[in-house]
Amino acid sequence: MLICENLLFSIDGQKLFSNINFNIETEKDLLITGPSGIGKTTLLSILCGLQRPTDGNILYNEINLYKLVENKIDEFRGKQLGIVFQNFNLINAFTIKQNLQLANTASGTEDYDHLYNLLQRVGLADKSHIKVSKLSIGEKQRVAVARAFAGKPKWVFCDEPTSSLDDKNTDIIINLIKEESLRCKASLILITHDKRIQSILNFDQILKLGEKI
Amino acid sequence: MLLMILGMTIITVSILVNQITKDTFNKNNPNLDVIVGAKGSPLQLVLSSIHHIDIPTGNISYKNAKNIIKHPAIKFGVPISLGDNFQNFRIVGTEKKFFKLYNAQIETGSIWRKPMQSVIGFNVANSTKLKIDKFFVGSHGLIDTGDVHAEQPYKVVGVLKKTGTILDNLIITSLDSVWLLHSNKSDIKNSRDSLEVTALLLKYKNKTSAFSFPRLINRNTNMQAASPNLEISKLFKLTGEAHKAINYLSILIVSLSFAGILFTLLNNISERRYDLAILRTLGFSKEKIFSIILIEGMTISFLGSFIGLIFGGIVYKSIEYFSLLGKNIIAGQFELIYELFVVWFIILIISFVACLVPCIKAYKQNIRSTLLNN
Repeated sequence: MLICENLLFSIDGQKLFSNINFNIETEKDLLITGPSGIGKTTLLSILCGLQRPTDGNILYNEINLYKLVENKIDEFRGKQLGIVFQNFNLINAFTIKQNLQLANTASGTEDYDHLYNLLQRVGLADKSHIKVSKLSIGEKQRVAVARAFAGKPKWVFCDEPTSSLDDKNTDIIINLIKEESLRCKASLILITHDKRIQSILNFDQILKLGEKI
Repeated sequence: MLLMILGMTIITVSILVNQITKDTFNKNNPNLDVIVGAKGSPLQLVLSSIHHIDIPTGNISYKNAKNIIKHPAIKFGVPISLGDNFQNFRIVGTEKKFFKLYNAQIETGSIWRKPMQSVIGFNVANSTKLKIDKFFVGSHGLIDTGDVHAEQPYKVVGVLKKTGTILDNLIITSLDSVWLLHSNKSDIKNSRDSLEVTALLLKYKNKTSAFSFPRLINRNTNMQAASPNLEISKLFKLTGEAHKAINYLSILIVSLSFAGILFTLLNNISERRYDLAILRTLGFSKEKIFSIILIEGMTISFLGSFIGLIFGGIVYKSIEYFSLLGKNIIAGQFELIYELFVVWFIILIISFVACLVPCIKAYKQNIRSTLLNN
């Protein structure tokens, strides 16, 4: 279970958001929405251990994330979390396979069959040797999704995964993320202001930043 | 990496040349106190008589040489006569006690019993493939000119064990053999006093004679007395300045290579700070990133210095192989290169310290701001 307790984040003394509370059961989904600039990406960074909150706690199955030392947070992120960033955050100089292997190495799983199957499902098995810099936006998006699942995570976070995609590709990517999270038995936490997503997927919970659900 | 290779190559050659040359000069001199020969350059006399790398200053009378050996200040003396070579290995005419100087031992065969018999050094046997009972003819001069004494060949009667000194590179024979080839006298036995030798190798009974004896020879005779230790130390003083200059140059080049590694890594980190931040998001810890950068820097440094070390060795061996000087002066032993490893170790330590700067920069990197600013 992921528990978010009284989360507060301020920049230079100004509150970006406060009093964020939610619980997500294992294998359940959460959609976080809100207008641009409300702090959705910052919230995702906090949930993933990339940005320390001003106050509040994040608990993953009773592990208080920010009570851990920094390298333990990194280790936890590598082993338990998968992240699809809005701008993909792929290493352009590396091939598709190398990008996935890095995530696999960080998670400590070293399961190359799993990587191959993942690449097959996202339709990039034949291009695994190609450098990321030579891929189209849609292909990069699929690599980012595959990488998020490379370490067999228990929680998957997606930040605006469809912001640069047309309707057809949005449908493909969202269904791919959902399928992979079901396959991994992972909880899915998706952050977006894209209204198309709610018409494609049903979520167990929806959190509108600034509003109580 | 190129600067590291270049710097390490120069350091290696400099250390090898300096150390092995000094070592060889020390080993080649069997504690001789003074050399007496024809007037000329004392250094030339020492180099030609003990180290066999220069031409002799001239000849001295054998009769005078015998008288000097009988001088009360002298404990031990042996004359040598140079003039010929076989495949660039010098043929030395001398007396049997010459072998005592180097504690030489016969590996096969025996010492000569009559003229035109010879004993060959360890390297001569290996290089020329001469064996016991084989004949060879000497060439005029101290390098192979092709002008040979075809009418009177030498016979090999003994091969010496390895001594690690210049003796390994010499062909030793009796004075009579040299005189037979070079004098017009038909009866060598009865005309020795009128013949000449190249130099006289001497040891004092008492070291205090080092002041009076050379003065006696230099003032009162047409010969000169030269101290091997004094002349070689003068030589090293001269070459030492050149060595210092080479060492300063190599230190400068290696320092530039440290700066090169430092700035290359810093530049790489600036270019790849986004990639490093991505690694952090994937779960690589700060310590892991630190070690990745450190391993990268140390790999450049280790490989560069190692390749430089190998290149230095190759350059040194080439110098030794291609120069006649090298062939005669260098014993080809690498016992003293431990100093080289100390220098290599110091270079690796300094590289390590230089690598820490970019490692710490990468360690302190803020992931989120790096990702946001990209």
